Amino acid sequence: MIITDNLTKKYGDQTVLDHLNLHVKEGEIYCLLGANGAGKTTTINLLLGFIEPTSGSAFINQLNVQENPRTTKLFLAYIPENLMLYPSLTAVENLDYFSGIGGKRLSDSDLKGFLGEAGLQPEAFDKRISTFSKGMRQKVGIAIALAKDAKVLLLDEPTSGLDPKASNEFGLLLQKLRAKGVATLMATHDLFRAKDVATHIGIMKDGRLKQQFKADDISLSELENSYLNTMGYKELAI
Amino acid sequence: MISKTFLKETKELLRDGRVRIAFFIVILLLGLAVWISARQYENVNEQYEAAKMAERTIWENQGEKNPHSAAHYGTYAFKPKYPLSLVDQGVDKYAGTSIFLEAHNRNEAQFSAAADQTGLARFGDLTPDFILLFIIPLLIILLGYNSFTKEREMGTLTLLKSQGISMGKWILGKWTALFTPILIMTAFLFLVAGVLLSGLENFGIFNWSALVVMFLVYVGYYIIFINIVLLISAKTRKSGVSLVISIGVWIIACLAAPKAASNIAEAKHPYPTRQEFTANVLKDKKEGLDGHNPWSKEAKLLQEKVLTEYGVDSLHKLPFNFDGYRMQKSEEHEAEIYFKHYNYLKEQFVQQSHVYRGLAAISPYLPTRFLSMAIAQTDYATHWDFADAAEEYRIATQKFLNDNFAENSEYGNWGYRADADFWKNLPAFDYNPPELDSVLSYNASNLGILGLWLVGSFGLLLFTTKTI
Repeated sequence: MIITDNLTKKYGDQTVLDHLNLHVKEGEIYCLLGANGAGKTTTINLLLGFIEPTSGSAFINQLNVQENPRTTKLFLAYIPENLMLYPSLTAVENLDYFSGIGGKRLSDSDLKGFLGEAGLQPEAFDKRISTFSKGMRQKVGIAIALAKDAKVLLLDEPTSGLDPKASNEFGLLLQKLRAKGVATLMATHDLFRAKDVATHIGIMKDGRLKQQFKADDISLSELENSYLNTMGYKELAI
Repeated sequence: MISKTFLKETKELLRDGRVRIAFFIVILLLGLAVWISARQYENVNEQYEAAKMAERTIWENQGEKNPHSAAHYGTYAFKPKYPLSLVDQGVDKYAGTSIFLEAHNRNEAQFSAAADQTGLARFGDLTPDFILLFIIPLLIILLGYNSFTKEREMGTLTLLKSQGISMGKWILGKWTALFTPILIMTAFLFLVAGVLLSGLENFGIFNWSALVVMFLVYVGYYIIFINIVLLISAKTRKSGVSLVISIGVWIIACLAAPKAASNIAEAKHPYPTRQEFTANVLKDKKEGLDGHNPWSKEAKLLQEKVLTEYGVDSLHKLPFNFDGYRMQKSEEHEAEIYFKHYNYLKEQFVQQSHVYRGLAAISPYLPTRFLSMAIAQTDYATHWDFADAAEEYRIATQKFLNDNFAENSEYGNWGYRADADFWKNLPAFDYNPPELDSVLSYNASNLGILGLWLVGSFGLLLFTTKTI
């Protein structure tokens, strides 16, 4: 579902993404770990078609993102670090708008169904987004993905700033989507959450994918050590 | 998607307290302006009807009198107030409402409303055209300056772009959301004006088609402003910057450009001063026939010519009163002089109008203002037309009186008196302003420029916002 083929992005002489090769299949959750500037967000922006690659290609649902910028977006949902919605609209109205502009016509009960499925409490459905916490907004973001019936989910630091409970709930939601066959690529700093939800984990540094694991093949402490070693903090590794 | 965006934007607007307050203020101002103008229109029209009737009564009841005395006694031509002046008062306030018609002289319109007001009138009046031309564009800025910048600032633009939306449809949705309240407000104003005007007694030449054309001109003006404001919002990153640039454009388009156009037009094609104009007319008059001076060279030449033509050796033997004949010839000569000098003024006016139209390319305000005044029949062209009609009537009146004097009395008989009923034979002054068709045809260039602004601003908005 998500493929990058020698995907490279340069700004002048600076290479921010260097020949990245990824393959995230249906029902997989791939977590990209790395420090700031490792190239995680650049990867997501390239998959969204927000920026053009210097070389290589990105594919969503077997379609080249560069050649099909609008069509590929029809298959994907994106949740940024700080999901911002329209503050003066309610959760239902926001969901109605974002699903409506994608061409979906949903009834009020459908909309509320998706919000409920995303874990939002019913009493919050008709409240304005301006009163929502970040965790609640992320749930609306998931509801947008559910309503869109997205095949691909791109997440950029989605759990950053969430309290442990909200972060845990978010993880459970990702598992639900995984069960529906959604291919997820998540950029994160959160090793614990990555180990918890991912099927595959990659560690990036300086625009390069340094290591890849199957999540089941590695323990949390091994993951932590690998991460610290890759980042060059060998003295901190156990 | 257009309708979804339209509904979303409308909900956001309606839930924004600032927007509700702004709408309330503008609607209140509009209501007040229309009410004030309607009262004013009714009062002026009553005064016009009363003055016209009183003046005609005075004219018809002069009793037995020498026609040339009546010519000097004179009468007034009153400029009617047209129904659409309720919406746009144009130059009416400054141009004068009546022209004194007398022998030998072409007078200018006098008794302007501005002359009767105090210095505070310099601050301007609360009129519908002020709201339509200045305040509603400001409201458009208030509603639309952050239309796109807020999406950037709130972070919703990224989420929107990730949905694979069509930018064109999204922009059209936003455009419709901004246009609809403005359209409703403008339509409401014009509907109220139409109902008020058609409900007034003696509303004269009011017709709905002129009101509809005027409405369309204003709608076009607002569309241009909406396009410009959205374009600025789409191309700037911060709402504050967008607001400042939009207000800057409003200042240039609505305040600076008209004044600059006026200065440039006056500098390129100046009118003579009143002193120069009067001196030039007087000089030409002195060089020609003076009806009251039978001893002048010109009067003697005319006398010789007429005696030869009729084959007589004395003015007493002519079949008409030569005094009356000379008066008429003097009037014709003076009318030619006035025609020449006023024609020069008119030529300057036409040249200035060309400058205005040329400069209309820098501001949509200018063609809109000219079209609005022209359709309301409160522009200078209509005033000129009225002044010309009054002058034609003056010339016809003088001929009517001089012919009676010449045909019904003998040379030297200044004691001749026309019958008391004679004055009724002079038709009353009845001015019909240009029809809507000819107004629009005269203003074809303004319509064209407004059309270009419309198409250009739309094209620019859609073309440059493809990549937000």
